[in-house]
Amino acid sequence: MTAVKLIAREEWRMLARNRSGLIATGLLVLLILVAGFTSLESRSAIEADRTRYQASVDETFDAQPDRHPHRMVHYGQFLFRPIAPLAFFDAGVNSFTGNTIFLEGHRQNSANFAEARQSSLLLRFGQLTPAFILQTLAPLLLIFLAFASVAREKERATLKLLLAQGIGGRSLIAGKMLGHGAIALAVGLPAFALLLGFAATGAADWATVGVMIIAYACWLLLWAFASVIISALVARPRDALAILMGLWMITIILLPRALPEAASAQNQLATKIETEIALHRDLLKIGDSHDPDDPYFNDFRDEVLDRYGVRTVEELPVQYAGLVAIEGERLTTQIYADAAQRQAAREREQNAFVHTFSVLSPLIAIRQLSMTLAGSDPAAHQDFLDQSEAFRYEFVQRLNRMQAELLPEIGGEDPRISAAYWQEVPRFSYSPFNPLADRTRIIWPLLVLAGWLAALCVLALFAARRIGGVAR
Amino acid sequence: MNHSHSLWRAEASLLLRSNRNVLALILLLVLSAASVWSGIVQVQDQRATIERVEREQVRDLAAVEEANAGPEGEAGYNAYYAFMLTQDPPPPLAFAAIGQRDLQPYVLRVRALGLQSQLYDSETYNPELALPGVFDWAFVLIYLLPLVVIALGHDLVTAEREGGRLRLLLSLPGNGLWRRRVGLRYTAVLLAIGLPLIIGAMIMAAPAVSIATMILIAALYSAFWFGLAMLIGGATRASTTAAATMIGCWIILTLILPTLAQAVIARAVPVAKGVDLTLAQREVVHHGWDVPKEETFARFFVNHPEWRGQEEFEGRFHWKWYYAMHQVGDEAVAADVSAYRDSLKKRETMTKLLGYVLPGVGTMNVLHRMADTDIQGQLAYQDSIAAFHTKLRQFYYPYFFEEQAFDHSDFAMIPRYEPRSSGGTPPTEALAALAFLSLLVLALGSRRLLNAGREQGGR
Repeated sequence: MTAVKLIAREEWRMLARNRSGLIATGLLVLLILVAGFTSLESRSAIEADRTRYQASVDETFDAQPDRHPHRMVHYGQFLFRPIAPLAFFDAGVNSFTGNTIFLEGHRQNSANFAEARQSSLLLRFGQLTPAFILQTLAPLLLIFLAFASVAREKERATLKLLLAQGIGGRSLIAGKMLGHGAIALAVGLPAFALLLGFAATGAADWATVGVMIIAYACWLLLWAFASVIISALVARPRDALAILMGLWMITIILLPRALPEAASAQNQLATKIETEIALHRDLLKIGDSHDPDDPYFNDFRDEVLDRYGVRTVEELPVQYAGLVAIEGERLTTQIYADAAQRQAAREREQNAFVHTFSVLSPLIAIRQLSMTLAGSDPAAHQDFLDQSEAFRYEFVQRLNRMQAELLPEIGGEDPRISAAYWQEVPRFSYSPFNPLADRTRIIWPLLVLAGWLAALCVLALFAARRIGGVAR
Repeated sequence: MNHSHSLWRAEASLLLRSNRNVLALILLLVLSAASVWSGIVQVQDQRATIERVEREQVRDLAAVEEANAGPEGEAGYNAYYAFMLTQDPPPPLAFAAIGQRDLQPYVLRVRALGLQSQLYDSETYNPELALPGVFDWAFVLIYLLPLVVIALGHDLVTAEREGGRLRLLLSLPGNGLWRRRVGLRYTAVLLAIGLPLIIGAMIMAAPAVSIATMILIAALYSAFWFGLAMLIGGATRASTTAAATMIGCWIILTLILPTLAQAVIARAVPVAKGVDLTLAQREVVHHGWDVPKEETFARFFVNHPEWRGQEEFEGRFHWKWYYAMHQVGDEAVAADVSAYRDSLKKRETMTKLLGYVLPGVGTMNVLHRMADTDIQGQLAYQDSIAAFHTKLRQFYYPYFFEEQAFDHSDFAMIPRYEPRSSGGTPPTEALAALAFLSLLVLALGSRRLLNAGREQGGR
């Protein structure tokens, strides 16, 4: 055991003398901090903007004059998606999803004004968040610090010396892994401190932050261990560097970009236009409320007359058109919901296809885990869309009921209800998405990361045996 | 002649004797081919999607015509229900540089209602797939080619010294050795990245001149990295140090500085006007129901004086007033619209300026401007939609104001959108900046290499 510690300490001493290594480490830590604070700042600026917009559109809704309720159905409501607190750490897909949605009757509008559509292509180089630094750049640093760790000893023939002193291959590898593992965790420390600080202020819960830290710790250890092991398996430091750079390029740069193309080629999404046309056709299949001979709406009318115990529409105590609006909204919403679910399911299939490759490229696992925990993944966005759709249905039906119940008393050529009623119409209140609610989305990528670590440990044993063989 | 020929052959066999070099070159060739192939697949998918949507659109329009056009048909209903398709087919070079075409809509339907509430609608795309960025030829060139150059060029001098041959090599007369050595590697890299592009261009029938320009851009960008390799290789003593330093440069130039700059630009140029104009347009249009109709008409006539005097109508509702109200809504937010577009253009301009100093960003800018797949291409598509929307409105106005029936023959005359002629030209300034930067680094690098050789060899 002491031999392991001794080797780790010796490794640290070596690294402390490596000036460029120290500078690179310092820069990376600085970069994490800069990314953390700028991202935190920009998140609060965006959040403040959206809160302000939401308040102002809610206010203008209340300030609308006396109107026919159906006019308010199309005046509609704007929603601005609040950003999850941890999204500063990992912006996830937030820049790629629209953040403003206009809700009105019998239409499902798209969420618009995604940042990526309003930015130059520069955005595609990546976004400056701690997650980007930890996922993309930190592995490179760990490679640079560790690629020579064992191969150097081989090249300088100090390895034989060590082995002759009675230090086993296992102790040697374990010591180097301990040394570089500790450095990996130290590199992650500022980011972890940022997360813990966030949890301490109550902005994020401890469990989420805890899992996030474990996930990134696994991720960083993985690269430190891989670097040491590859270094032990090859003859020269240069070869270790080349192999590790290749691994980094393939798993972090190439596969994450190439896989989505395969996923979208396999399983294409329908365009919004096709969906709209199909919906329109489905609706007409059910019935056309404007057609006096339409069987569906004739049945509906008879049922309504029965319910109120009257013989004609004119005798109804409520406005019949209002009831038709309520029924129509119910029908369209159902069809829209089905189509939206199909689309979401197809997107989930595409993503699941990419996620299965996390076995090959652990970046996919850490990326998925990180944005899930940060509340910036597609599921969190979908949750916002679901909440907004539920809310849309509720507020449109409230207005439709007002039309049915209040208009008969008012009558006249231009019936309007009092503006006071607008304040009774519900306002959207977003209930934050709990990333830990669906455990499977957390457990699977964690298992992948743990599996990688386990596989590396097995490989380390193999490398240790080979090194031990050198002495004999 | 014969002598120099055999020297080149010797250099070539030297280059190919190293497994690392061969592997790196094959990898580049394979990746370049894969990216071109993937780009072609994506472009063909987009074309197929456009065709699919066009077929659906024909069916949809037929249904609208059947329901609303006829001897009793009202233009107002037809204009309300007839969504007209606009499409932006992939430009000829899009297969090499897809740019934002995975995010930006390339089919969009508009009707004669207010344009500003239709123009910014999103198309469905899977955000998680879009997140890492597209895999196309431009990506392989900008990100991966430098790594291959590093593999091939970082140890030009250091390997010779480490092998103990440097002194001998330097005692040979002339500078031909280094020129041949670098020139050969440079040509091999260009062939590996360029050949798949040329084959792809033949398949996609892309204009030869544009492809030649793209190859030129690749040549300049490679020259930058070879220049840097010589600069660093000549200044370091160990191959490993040289490799590490070069990779450091690559990280800073293609990962760190662009992301930092993106954060700065996003902060410096807010684009909130898009939301503002949408909100403002809604207010004006809905407010139109609550103000006297004369007021709406008065504002409409400012830009449409030809219909003045025909605004009178009986009752509470008339299509001419309804569509005038929508147009007034669009006109009321014209200032916001141009402010919004200005903010997008400003972000583009700042990125362009950044490209003057960062060769990766510069290459990205030039390629995507040529392919017409950047923000500017999207704005041009929006412009063409706006022009079509105007034509569409102007077509309907006589029917609204003169209360003509809307028969099948009228329906057949509804204007159709003509795709814009796409395909950008290479921005000369940006190209010149890239050429200047690359050739400068190349010149500095070759000088450094020769000097370093002499210094170190003389020791």
